[in-house]
Amino acid sequence: MRVYQVPTHTRLWLVMTIVICSLPQLLRGPGWQAGLLALIVILRALADRQRIAMPGRVVRGALMVGIVVLTFYSFGRIYGAEAGVALLVSLFALKYLEVVRQRDAYVVIVLGYFVCATALLFERGPGMFAFVLFCMLLLTSCLVGINHSDTGARPMGHIKRAAAMLAQAVPVMLLLFVLVPRVAPLWNMQVDSGKARTGMSDSMSPGQISELSQSSELAFRVAFDGPVPANNQRYWRGLTLSHFDGRTWQQALPRGQDIQDYLFEKGQTPPPWYQLLMKAGRGEGYRYRVILEPTERRWLFALKVPVLEQGQAGLAKDMRLVASNPVSEAMAYTVTSYPNLAASLALDEAERDLMLSLPQQGVGRRAQGLAQQWQLESSTPQQVVNRALRYFREQPFYYTLKPPVLPVDPIDEFLFVSRRGFCEHYASSFTFMMRAAGIPARVVVGYQGGELNQVGSHLLVRQYDAHAWSEVWLDGRGWVRVDPTAAVAPDRIEEGVRAALEESNADSDALASLKSFASSGMLGKLQQWVDYVDFQWQTRVLGYNSQSQMQLLRELLGAASPLRIALALLAGIAVLLALYMVLLLRRDRGYQQTVMEREFWRLHQRVGSMGEPLDAGMTPQQLAAHIAKRWPAAAEIARQWALQYQQALYNPAISVDKRRIRHLRQLRNRLYKLLD
Amino acid sequence: MRWPAPFRKYYERWLARRLPRAPLVILNQRRIFIFPTGYGFFYLGVAALLFIGGINYENNLILALSFLLASLFLVAILHTYRNLSGLGLRNGGSESGYAGESGSLGVTLFSDNRAHHCIWLKWEGQPAQQISVPADTESRLWLNLALPRRGRVLAPRMKVESFFPLGLLRTWSYVSLDHYCLAWPSPQPSAECPAEGGQEHAKVVTNGKAGNDEFRGLRGYVPGDSLRRIDWKGYARGMGLNTKLFEEPAGGRLWLDWDVLEGIGREQRLSILCYWTLQLDQQHQPYGLRLPGMTLAPDTGDTHRLRVLDALAAFPEAG
Repeated sequence: MRVYQVPTHTRLWLVMTIVICSLPQLLRGPGWQAGLLALIVILRALADRQRIAMPGRVVRGALMVGIVVLTFYSFGRIYGAEAGVALLVSLFALKYLEVVRQRDAYVVIVLGYFVCATALLFERGPGMFAFVLFCMLLLTSCLVGINHSDTGARPMGHIKRAAAMLAQAVPVMLLLFVLVPRVAPLWNMQVDSGKARTGMSDSMSPGQISELSQSSELAFRVAFDGPVPANNQRYWRGLTLSHFDGRTWQQALPRGQDIQDYLFEKGQTPPPWYQLLMKAGRGEGYRYRVILEPTERRWLFALKVPVLEQGQAGLAKDMRLVASNPVSEAMAYTVTSYPNLAASLALDEAERDLMLSLPQQGVGRRAQGLAQQWQLESSTPQQVVNRALRYFREQPFYYTLKPPVLPVDPIDEFLFVSRRGFCEHYASSFTFMMRAAGIPARVVVGYQGGELNQVGSHLLVRQYDAHAWSEVWLDGRGWVRVDPTAAVAPDRIEEGVRAALEESNADSDALASLKSFASSGMLGKLQQWVDYVDFQWQTRVLGYNSQSQMQLLRELLGAASPLRIALALLAGIAVLLALYMVLLLRRDRGYQQTVMEREFWRLHQRVGSMGEPLDAGMTPQQLAAHIAKRWPAAAEIARQWALQYQQALYNPAISVDKRRIRHLRQLRNRLYKLLD
Repeated sequence: MRWPAPFRKYYERWLARRLPRAPLVILNQRRIFIFPTGYGFFYLGVAALLFIGGINYENNLILALSFLLASLFLVAILHTYRNLSGLGLRNGGSESGYAGESGSLGVTLFSDNRAHHCIWLKWEGQPAQQISVPADTESRLWLNLALPRRGRVLAPRMKVESFFPLGLLRTWSYVSLDHYCLAWPSPQPSAECPAEGGQEHAKVVTNGKAGNDEFRGLRGYVPGDSLRRIDWKGYARGMGLNTKLFEEPAGGRLWLDWDVLEGIGREQRLSILCYWTLQLDQQHQPYGLRLPGMTLAPDTGDTHRLRVLDALAAFPEAG
């Protein structure tokens, strides 16, 4: 029976591989894991140096029990993604303690593949994938090492061989990645990374959005297919809020309607409003792809009126997209927005009632009076809207991140006393007054604006772009967007929240925490590049799903039929492997002529090409004699050449250096001239 | 695993036709077989598991990792094949032995421009030996071979195997070198020396000193001279290696003769001749050999003994 031991030249690779593959989990998981790994590496090192005996079953069993107990202690359970990965990484380390034979090393390496895979569960950036590739290089080096049983093998040789093999495997991997059809999940598994998300909540009360504005975290990114709309047109709608209780705006459904009437999802019978919407003339639209960061919410962000092209989401009657599940991982969807489509929606009675409803408590009595006065003095709703905007513009209203607290009456106190507020104050009070004036109105929350990445020309929308505005129903025009904040602080809409707040001293300390993406200089450029790479990674790699695959394959192969995909896959692999085969099995260059040999054969060929072919076995002397016979004028030089040549070759006192070879070449060139 | 006889016979015939016996073999795609090892299948299983995991978690990077594992396997096919391809094997000498014991055959492995690592060589059903062949060199490996009977024992089919570099795949070839090992007859003691020519041959055996008596002089050592005849004392004095010469014994030349043993079986005759060859060699008695169809002149020394033994071994077999 052959017992294959793990060769000593591979031990180092094994230790390094185990430590490095475990790193992501050690950094993320509980601290005892790093201690355990260190303990195991030390125990093993001592055992290898024969300071202690190899840990036996008892020690390993005790460690195993300890691992399970600690895992339970840390996570409260020993199953589930987090605890499972912690357990796996610990076992990976523990297995190293008992590696003696080749088989054990194989087991360690296989566990290493799983450890790499689990690292990708929690972090999917390009950096993590590069790290996993590096781990694969180490794992492959270990495989090479344990199969290379020559005692003289060099550890660096293993990693070189592994690098060569991986370099050849990567193109095949890319081919498989692009072509292998994405199957729908067999059963659903979601990893909740458990991070608390900053982002929009499903209600709006004073102070909520201004809080959000302190964060520069990414909300979503948008890549436009065609022209990018102007900054003041980029209103990314998230939610419409139509119920007001005097302090907080909330989502609400019109009385007597249920969610199926309001929200159309794929597979349902389309409600009448949806059929109407689809029949209407669309006009110009913007086509774009949104990569939404996880929100743990169902609503998605889009311009008005979104028609979904790729991705999975339903359309609600208030012209917004709704995902089927809370967005817990980055999600991509492609949308075409038709601004003109809004006009084709109708407002039914129940909806009108809801959009006109005012809170029962007596808030905003003065505001109601003002609004009713405007209503009386105007002939059309549009005039009322203009009056209200003019009021905001002309009265001393301030746009600020730090408005005073309004404990009693958020509407009247704001409108007539403090007059300092953020977008939610303006949107809330404006919508309230519109309703008081008999115009159906609602609050819309979402994001406004977004910065352009100069490298990739995609938009970045961050949390500080969060915004609230109003929509009013004007007969014949449908829901029309009105942004009272624009009347107070036009900068906010044109240039973003930072520009709007820079002038006020009170807000400058709050602003300091907002890192601008568009910061200047090298760092800014670098940031743009990092963001560009990240965005491409999100769209091209992480967002490569069955839909985008089908689209790409249709472009590449003409049609994405299974037969064509299979043929392309086979042909691609065959071409790559054939190429490698040629590279790997090519004969090394044949016999290399020495300088002296080249010198002889050049003259030999030249003379041969000018007369009858020469015998290959000629000596230099014979060659010179042959030349002398045919070209008597060249006899002397030919004789000299042969003499020099033979001296260089055979006279031990004369060394063949550059000078001598140059001299020979000169003689040969002189001969050439005489031969013609 | 043992296949049923008809299949096995067919397989053997196919192999013999595909890989005929040759004095020199360079492994190429005609001769090389390749198949995943148990670990290779396990590895593919891991890749498949990761694929399912990637699908279920809708994680493109885990999918990419599973594709990378699969790609590495594909590339490993080429590298594993390459490790055997271009390797040359040829006859590398043989060490004869007595029938019933074992001899050994040398196999010389050579490579042209590529190193071949961790090659395992074995006769079927025997433990393998490992060897690596650096680029542009030759390496020789001795493989023991059981010698069941006297005569020429042809080299059985040899398995050349390699798992390098990843151990995911096994590549192997069967090589039948045109190569044999001589099995000398196993010595069989007998009372009578089957010799002719020396009148005193019976006594020669008993006093055991004959041939050493009449010292004649020294001559320079020639490779092949018996080590027992070297003048070691002189060598210790610094006189160089010399071989002591003796007068021919009074009995003259002894001829071990096949015909003397008339009436005994062929193999037994050879065994007796073998026994006496060894006896006479031990006593430094010059002896010759007469077999039907061949004669070896009397001489002494290791070379002579081997020549005689080989002649006995190569004696045609019955039938």
